[in-house]
Amino acid sequence: MRLVAGSARTWTGAASVLLALAAWQGVVAAGLVPGDLVPPPTSVWLAFVEILRHGYRDTTLSEDIGATLGRLLAGFGLAALLGVPFGLWLGVSRRASAAFGWIVQFMRPLPPLSFLVLLILWLGLGEASKIALLTMTAFPIITSASQAAVRGVPVLQIAVARSLGATPPQVFRHVVLPASLPMIFTGLNIALAATFSTVVAAELLAANDGLGWMVLSASKFLRNDVIMVGIVLLGLLGMALSRFLLLLDRRLVHWRGRA
Amino acid sequence: MKPERLWPFTVATAALLFAAWTAATALNLVNPLFLPGPGLLFSSFVDLLLNGYKGYSLPVHIGISLMRVLLGFGSGAIFGTLIGLGMGAAPLFDALAAPFVDFLRPLPQLAYLVLLIVWFGIGETSKIVLLFLTALPVAAIAARDGVRSVPEEQVRVARALGASPAQIFRHVIFPSALPEIFIGARLAVGIVYATLIAAEIIAGSNGIGWLVFDAGRFLRSDYVFVGVLLIGLMGLGLDFALRTIERKIVHWAGK
Amino acid sequence: MSKGKSFDRRTVLAAGLGLGASAALARGARAAAPPEARIGYFVETKPTMIAKSLGWFADAMKTKAVWHEMGTGAEINTGIAAGGLDFGLAIGSSPVAAGIAEGLGYQLIGMVDNIGPAEEMTVRAAANITKPADFIGKKVATPFGSTSHFRLMGFLGVNHLSQSQVTVLDMSPEQIVAAWKRGDIDAAYVWSPAKAEILADGGKVYETYKELDADGYVIADLIVVRTAFGRRYPDAVAGFLSAYGKALALYVTDPDKAAKIIAQAAGVSPAVAASNLAEYDFVSLKDQLSPEWLGPPGHPGKFASVLHSTAEFLVQQKSIRTAPPLATFAAAINTSYLAKVVG
Repeated sequence: MRLVAGSARTWTGAASVLLALAAWQGVVAAGLVPGDLVPPPTSVWLAFVEILRHGYRDTTLSEDIGATLGRLLAGFGLAALLGVPFGLWLGVSRRASAAFGWIVQFMRPLPPLSFLVLLILWLGLGEASKIALLTMTAFPIITSASQAAVRGVPVLQIAVARSLGATPPQVFRHVVLPASLPMIFTGLNIALAATFSTVVAAELLAANDGLGWMVLSASKFLRNDVIMVGIVLLGLLGMALSRFLLLLDRRLVHWRGRA
Repeated sequence: MKPERLWPFTVATAALLFAAWTAATALNLVNPLFLPGPGLLFSSFVDLLLNGYKGYSLPVHIGISLMRVLLGFGSGAIFGTLIGLGMGAAPLFDALAAPFVDFLRPLPQLAYLVLLIVWFGIGETSKIVLLFLTALPVAAIAARDGVRSVPEEQVRVARALGASPAQIFRHVIFPSALPEIFIGARLAVGIVYATLIAAEIIAGSNGIGWLVFDAGRFLRSDYVFVGVLLIGLMGLGLDFALRTIERKIVHWAGK
Repeated sequence: MSKGKSFDRRTVLAAGLGLGASAALARGARAAAPPEARIGYFVETKPTMIAKSLGWFADAMKTKAVWHEMGTGAEINTGIAAGGLDFGLAIGSSPVAAGIAEGLGYQLIGMVDNIGPAEEMTVRAAANITKPADFIGKKVATPFGSTSHFRLMGFLGVNHLSQSQVTVLDMSPEQIVAAWKRGDIDAAYVWSPAKAEILADGGKVYETYKELDADGYVIADLIVVRTAFGRRYPDAVAGFLSAYGKALALYVTDPDKAAKIIAQAAGVSPAVAASNLAEYDFVSLKDQLSPEWLGPPGHPGKFASVLHSTAEFLVQQKSIRTAPPLATFAAAINTSYLAKVVG
C-alpha cells in the first residue's frame, strides 16, 4: 500500500492538530461555549505553567509524573516477570494449561476497578494495593498471549528440530522461544496499554500523588483547566509509551512480516 | 494414539481451590469482611436476586450495564471501523486523522470521563460518549491495519480484471480486512467493558459496576464478590457472543 | 553445666530485678509516644483544619502525624479495616455506625459537631415543592453512604415515599453542583460548600432537620481511634483530643482568625469558611461528656442509641448485613480519654 512519504505525513498531522487547536480556541473566544466549562488552549497552557512552577496541592509536577510512571512500571514489570514464564509453561504443558488456564481466562474480563476496595482491604492504603491492581490488569493478558504464542509455533518446525536430534530443552530454547517472541510482544504491548489505562483508576482511592490523582482532585475543586493539563500529559505519556514499545518491537523482533 | 484426558486436571485445581476457600472461611481463618465463604456468597446472591439492590432489581442492574456496553461499543466500533477503513484506503485522510486516533487510543478513560461529566452531565449521555470514544480508536486502528494488510496482488488482479475502485473495496479489500476488524472488535469489547465499570463507579446510581462499588463503600464484601463474579461472567458472555458472530461472518478465516 | 543448687541467691536477685525492670518498662511503654499516628481526614471548613495546619495534633501527641486525605467516611472505614489508619477525624455517624456494626475495631472517643441544619434538603425554588408529596416524580441527589443520604432516606421513610416514586441519585457534592447548574436535578440533600452554591443558584431550603432529628435521625461528625492504638497509647489519644479542643476554643474566642486559618487550609475564601462554620453546632468537649451526647466514662449517653438506630436503618438499606444490639454501641463509646482532657 502506498503511503504518503514520512515527513509529509508528519507535517499533515501537525497541521491537522494545529487547526483543531485553533478551532477550539476560536470557539471559546467567540463565546459559543463558556470558557470555564471548556478551557481554551491558552488557559490550559497557563495552568500547565502554574503547575510546573508551583506544583499542584503540595506535589510537584515531576513528583506526580514520577509517581504514576513508577506505579505503572512496577505493576507492568511484575506482571511481565510472572506472566511470561507462567504463560510459556501453560503453552508447553497441556496438563498445566488444563489445571490453571481457566483461572487466567476468568481473570481477563474482570474490570480491575471492581475489586480495588478488596485490594485496599487486603494490602493497605499504600503502594502495594495500587501496584497489585495494575499487576492484576496486565497479568492475564500477558499470560494468555505467551500461552497462545507457544501453541502457535508450527508443529513442523518442532518436528524438524527433533528429527535433527535436539533435546526438548534445546527445542524450546532455539525453536519455540524465538518463534513465540512476536506474539509475546503483542501481548506485552496490549497489556501495557491496558495497564496505563488503569493507572488513573488505581489513583482513585487512597492516593495523594500521581497524574490520575491530580485529574480526580481537580474535578473535586472544579478546576477544569487542571483537568485538561492532566489529560494532555497523560495522553502524551501514553503516546510516548506506545512509540517506545513499537521501537522495541521493531528492533528486537525484526523478522516479523507485518504486525 | 489416544490423546490424554485433561479435564481431570481442571477439575482437580478447581476442587482444591474451592476446598481451601471453604475451609479457610469455615474455620474463621479469615475475616469474612476480607473473604466471604461460599455459603454466604450464595445466600447474598439469592438475596440480591429476590430483593434487588437500592431501588433496582438485579436483572435490571445487569441489563442497564449491558445496554450501555452495547450502545457505546456498537456505535464506537462501527464509526471507528469506518474511519479506519478510510485511513487505510486514503493516505491523506490517514495523515490527518492519525494524531487524534493515536492520542485517544492510550488515553486513560477515567481521566477524560471527568471532563465528559462536566460537559454532558452525570446521566447516560456522558457514559455512552465515553464508551463510544473508547471503542473508536481501537476499531479504527484494527480496520486500518486490516486494509493495509490486504495482499497487493489481489488488488492488482482485480484492477486488471476491470473492477472499479468501489468494487475492489467491496469485494477484495473489505472481506480481506474482516479478520483484523473482528480482532479489533473483540479487543474493543474488553476495553469498553472495563471502562463501563469505571464509568458507573464515577458517575452512576445503577448498573452492576456501581453496585459493586457502592457495596464496597460499606465493606459489604459479600455483595462485592457476587457482583465481581457476575461481571466476570458477563464479560465472558460478551466475548463468546462476539466470537460466535465472527465465526458466522468470517467463516473462511477460521483456523 | 552448673553444679550445686539451681536457685542460688544471685540468680533470684537477678530474676527479681529483671521482673521489676520489665514491669517498669511496660508501664513506661504504655505512656510512651507512638512511633507515628496515621490520621484519616477531610479537607473541609471545620476547626479540625486549624489544629492540623498549626501542627497541634503532632505536638500534643508528641509524635509524627501522617495525614491521609480521604474522600468519604466510608474510605476511612476501609482505611482502618485495612490496618492503615489509627484515627478517623470528622467521620460521619453513618459510617461510624457501620464500622462498629462490622466490628472494625475502633472506638468513638469524641465529636466534632452535631450536624443539625448544616446538611439539609435544597429544592429548586421554581419547582414549587412545599410538601412531601411534591417530591413524587422528582429527582433528588445525595452522596450515597453519607450522613445526608441517611437523612434523605429517613425523610422518605417518615413520609412514606418509596424510591420508585422519588428518584434518588448518587452524586458527590461537586457533581451535585454541576448537575444542578445543568438542570438535571430538582433537589439535593448535601452540605456546604455544595449546598451554599446551589442555594445561591435558584435554590431554596426545604427544612427537614428538626423533624428528622426528633424522629431519631440525628447525624454528627465524630472522632474515632483504633481500639488497640488507644489502649497502647492513651496519652497520645488524650493529646489528640486536647489539640482539637484547643482549635475549637480558638474558633469560639476569635472566629475571624479561625476562619482565616481554615480558609487557607481548605482553599476557600475566609468569607465562605466563616459562613460554612456558622452552620454547625460544634459541641464543646465538656458538653460531649453529658448524657445527651457521649456520656461520662462508663455511662454511655444517648448517642449510643443514635448509632444503634442508624445501624438498623443501614441494615434496611442493605449497606450492612446485621446490626448488633445497643450494648455493642454503648461499649464502643470510650470517653475516658475525653474525661482526662476536660479534667
